[in-house]
This record gives sequence, structure tokens and C-alpha cells, in this order.
Amino acid sequence: MALGGTIRGKKTSLRLPVESDLETYNRWMADMRVRRAHGVWHEPAMPATWKERFKEIAKDKQTVLWSIDAAGQLLGLVVGHVWSMGNGFDVNHFLIDPDEWRKGYGSDAALALHRYVFDYLDLRVATFEIRADNAAALTIAHKLGYTEFAHGHNVDYRDGAYVDEVKLRMDKEAWHERWSAEREYPPLAADATR
Amino acid sequence: MIGPKLVGKNDVALVPMTLENFRLHGPWMMQPEVGRFWGPRFGEVTPESAEKRYKEFAESETSVNWTISYLDEPVGFTGIFDIDWVRRDGESGILIGRADLFGRGIASEAIRLRTDFAWRELRMHRVHNWIAHANRGSRRANEKAGYKQMGLFRRSFFRSGEWYDEWLGEAYPHTFPDQR
Repeated sequence: MALGGTIRGKKTSLRLPVESDLETYNRWMADMRVRRAHGVWHEPAMPATWKERFKEIAKDKQTVLWSIDAAGQLLGLVVGHVWSMGNGFDVNHFLIDPDEWRKGYGSDAALALHRYVFDYLDLRVATFEIRADNAAALTIAHKLGYTEFAHGHNVDYRDGAYVDEVKLRMDKEAWHERWSAEREYPPLAADATR
Repeated sequence: MIGPKLVGKNDVALVPMTLENFRLHGPWMMQPEVGRFWGPRFGEVTPESAEKRYKEFAESETSVNWTISYLDEPVGFTGIFDIDWVRRDGESGILIGRADLFGRGIASEAIRLRTDFAWRELRMHRVHNWIAHANRGSRRANEKAGYKQMGLFRRSFFRSGEWYDEWLGEAYPHTFPDQR
């Protein structure tokens, strides 16, 4: 039920994840570059465990998984949670293959995801938690229009030390102010409902 | 998991949560006097779902759950949830289910016991929570146990024609006042 459908960006697409993506997911979760930048969706595990996880999220009514793709190559994943009252969206995991960092795929996929959240789902607010030293993710979030609403101290532990966590939000108004030209569909034709 | 018995001051105790007490949660949360700062006031409130959820609470390895007892009667629940044992961080929550007992310091004592347990027994590094900003009683009770504001989530939910903000707090062993 909660595997995400296609959302097209300019360089990337968020698309329906498939079982053959799981081996790559597993590799990313075991990559220390990923683990330093942010939390993992799941710990590395056997293929059978990943299949179980895939079945679980497919049944989840409010958590959505997408794979990120560019020109047919699997490049990342997104996990998001639609609020139980249905008016907000938490970006839980946003991962780009570390071999593909600094090529603009993250910002392109993030813009497409938020267009879907605000222009298609018509949600009121999105939230995102980022480690305070993840400069690339913070830059993407700030460019999108996210602003900080909380700062947790010594929250995440990795590489022998704690790091702070920044909690960010983006409201629909901020989206429209900055990205009103971004639409899932063009306006309906004047005679569309005749 | 289910938390052990912790005896506090003023006839307040945290006691191991039983299925019998867990079944009270649904009816408590459905009361408008109790639910003003809580959830949507609807849900799967059946004996079967209570049993299933209780089993999940009891089997969970990432939460510790108690019933709050006052004068030896169950009056609410509290716990630490979504514990990350690597970060040693978890989210705390509390509900006093009896509106006629508000203002007696029950939540303050329950939070003190829970927070003390987090530091002294679980060896946690941090606990954090979200509280309706207008719920001054709960906010104050948490502050007394060492929670400090780390943020404010504006316009979190809408009730009776106005937006409610949420206060985000965090506590550490070094912010816990020694009140023993």
C-alpha cells in the first residue's frame, strides 16, 4: 500500500521500488560514508530479512518508500511518513548513493518530492531532521525553503562522538512563495470540464 | 518492556503496566477533558485491540512502560519510547487519565521517577519530548525534572478555532536536579 509511485524531476525520478533494489539498499546501509552523514533506514542484513522489510513497508498505511533513479540507474531512496491526521509529511530518510554525491541528484530529487507533497498531496507542512554537520543536506533543505524550529544537543552518536540534530520545517506558504512555478500538472484547459 | 515498580512521594508510584490497566487507556483518551492536548479522540478502542497493543508494549525492546498509580489506583500512564540503544536516547510521554486529579502534582512526581530511572537504571544519555505549549502543567512538570526547551513547533494542531504550538524539550543526566 505504501510504495511510492513515479515523481519526475529534471535529472532524477522517484519511482516504485522493486525487490531487485534491495541488494543495493543493503550495500548503502553498510557504507560508513552513509552512516556518518545520517541514520540508516535499516541495518545491513540478509536478503531474506530485506524481503521481509519490503513486505512490511508495502503494507504500511502511512509510511512511503521510493527508489531514486536517474537514466535507469538506482541512485537512492526516500522514506517519508504522512501524518495520521493527513496534513503533514515527515521526511524520515533521504539517501543518495555516496558514489554519486555532489552531482545535483539530491537537490533535484528533493525538489520533485516536495512538489508532490505540496502541489499534489496539498499537505500543510513537511519536516526533516538533519545532523548539524551534514552541510550538503542542510544546503539542499535551506534552498528548498526549510527553516529550523528546534536544535537538539548531542543527539546522534557516530565516529566516537555525539553530534547535534537540527529539526527543520517547510510550510506550504513557503513552497508557494519560492516554487509556485513547479507543478505536477499544467493548469486544466479552459474547456476541460465542458 | 514493562517498567518495574518505583515508589515516589505523595502516594504516587509507577507500577508495572498490566493488561487490566492498559484497557483503561482508550476510555481515558476519549474524554474531552483529558484529550485537549492529546490525539484525535477516535481510534480502534476495542478489548481485542487493547490486548494486541499491550502485548506489543510488553514485548517491545525499545520502550519502557508504566501505569501511574495514585493512592493505589491506576490514574494514567507514562513511558519512554523509541529508545535508540546506540544513541541512548528516547522519547518520553505521559497522560493523566483522570481530569478530577489534575493539579495535584501526580504528573510531576511520575516524571521525576521516570527520568531518574532513565539515568540511574537505563544509563540513558538523553530523553526528549513534545508537549502542547499551552499545557503549562505538563511543561512545568517536565522542566522540574530537568527538561529544557530545544525548540517550538508552531501551528502543530488546530482545536476549537485556534492553532496550538508544541514545545520541544530535552533532558540529560546533568540537568536532573537531585530531589531524592
